Amino acid sequence: MMLPYLLRLLCLCLASFFVLNVAAGLLVRISSKSTIRFAESRTPRAAARLLLALRLLPFALAVLFVVGLCVPSYLWLEPAATSERVGPICATLGLLGAATLLISVVRTANALFASLRHNRLCRLTGSETRMPGESSPVVLVENEAPLLAMSGMLRPRLLISRGVLRALSAEELDAALRHEHAHRTSRDNLKRLLILLAPDIFPFVRPLRSLERTWSRFAEWAADDQAAAGDSSRAVFLAAALVQVARMGSGPSLPFLSTSLLACDRDLSARVDRLLHTTPIAPAQTWQPRPLLRSAGLLLAGCLAAFLLAPPTLSLVHEFLELLLR
Amino acid sequence: MIRFLKNRIARGANLRQSLALGTLEFELMEILWSDGQSSVRDVVPKLSRPLAYTTVMTTLDRLFKKGLLDRRKSDRAFFYSPSFSRLEWERRRAGNLVAGFLSGAHPSRELLLSCLLEAVGEHDATLLDELEKKIRSRRKELLRQEQP
Repeated sequence: MMLPYLLRLLCLCLASFFVLNVAAGLLVRISSKSTIRFAESRTPRAAARLLLALRLLPFALAVLFVVGLCVPSYLWLEPAATSERVGPICATLGLLGAATLLISVVRTANALFASLRHNRLCRLTGSETRMPGESSPVVLVENEAPLLAMSGMLRPRLLISRGVLRALSAEELDAALRHEHAHRTSRDNLKRLLILLAPDIFPFVRPLRSLERTWSRFAEWAADDQAAAGDSSRAVFLAAALVQVARMGSGPSLPFLSTSLLACDRDLSARVDRLLHTTPIAPAQTWQPRPLLRSAGLLLAGCLAAFLLAPPTLSLVHEFLELLLR
Repeated sequence: MIRFLKNRIARGANLRQSLALGTLEFELMEILWSDGQSSVRDVVPKLSRPLAYTTVMTTLDRLFKKGLLDRRKSDRAFFYSPSFSRLEWERRRAGNLVAGFLSGAHPSRELLLSCLLEAVGEHDATLLDELEKKIRSRRKELLRQEQP
């Protein structure tokens, strides 16, 4: 198949993206069991961070390779006038790459629209109110459903039903609100969006789903810890709130881009046990990189960029692209 | 080749019908699940009651025909091995049971679903009761700790 210069670049970018995403994704999938085991020995917050990084790694690596190496090497080393054939393997890989990206874009768009629709519906059927300790207004929905959720990405809004307000005592409500607030400060909805955007290994199967589920579990645990803030009695109130909300029955189905108090009710027993039996971990101070460390990081990144963009590296990448093209 | 295909098709049809096992059949399956590939001679001494060699041979042959066992011939003896794991067998059996109910008359379908929902609800309520008990005892413990 003969393709013009820029279309050939697009095909090569998609094919390289697919190859790299699959290779890195498979490595992540193979190592996921041992990583999860390792993560279990860390604090929930650190575990959630590690698993999220691992989940996004294949996509990040593939994008970095394409944008940082494929495109510059092609533009620099491929003569614009030449017309070259694109082999069937490259074309197939390019199509697979396009399908992989398209599926994740469609999935993300669907989730975004569902989240917007849900938020609008809640605002229409509910009323905005102020809650003690909450800086932004809360949407109070007038029904008995077990709804206590944080919805939205950039400005997450707390949604709460009248039923939940009635069912929880003041202390339980405070602990539950702290839990949702923890989700807001750790930007869990935005992380969910990133997970949706980062495609899985193959277009129609999702082998990295177990990693996502485990991340979600640790994110809930981390929010529990942050809500308890090292206070055993607050941890007990949060556990009581979880059970009270679970007693209200199965909750309304929430869009993917939202976090709720009972996000994963299969994990309820484990969460309650954790809150009751383990000493709650006080929230760690936000890590601030020291100036020296920051400079060292910048220097390292600069060296890496210089190495990657050096002529020998780009020539090597160009050779790989030529091989892929045949 | 045709006989092989016919056997395969017949075994598939049998499998759907006969996941339910008799006592001896189940005992034999248990032995094969734990020991893996075995001949009749290997299995006979492991049974809970003494049985004739031919009885065991016939039962194993029946299990093979039902599609629950695979077999290969070595010298003059057959070696049998389970066609799938115990977990898979249980999953299929549960699936068959549910499919049987759902394909039945309308009342039988509703009955099954309401029984399932009831069972899940009861399980949930018991679990929540247990969790609440734990919370109460933890509260008491914390109160005791706070008191001088």
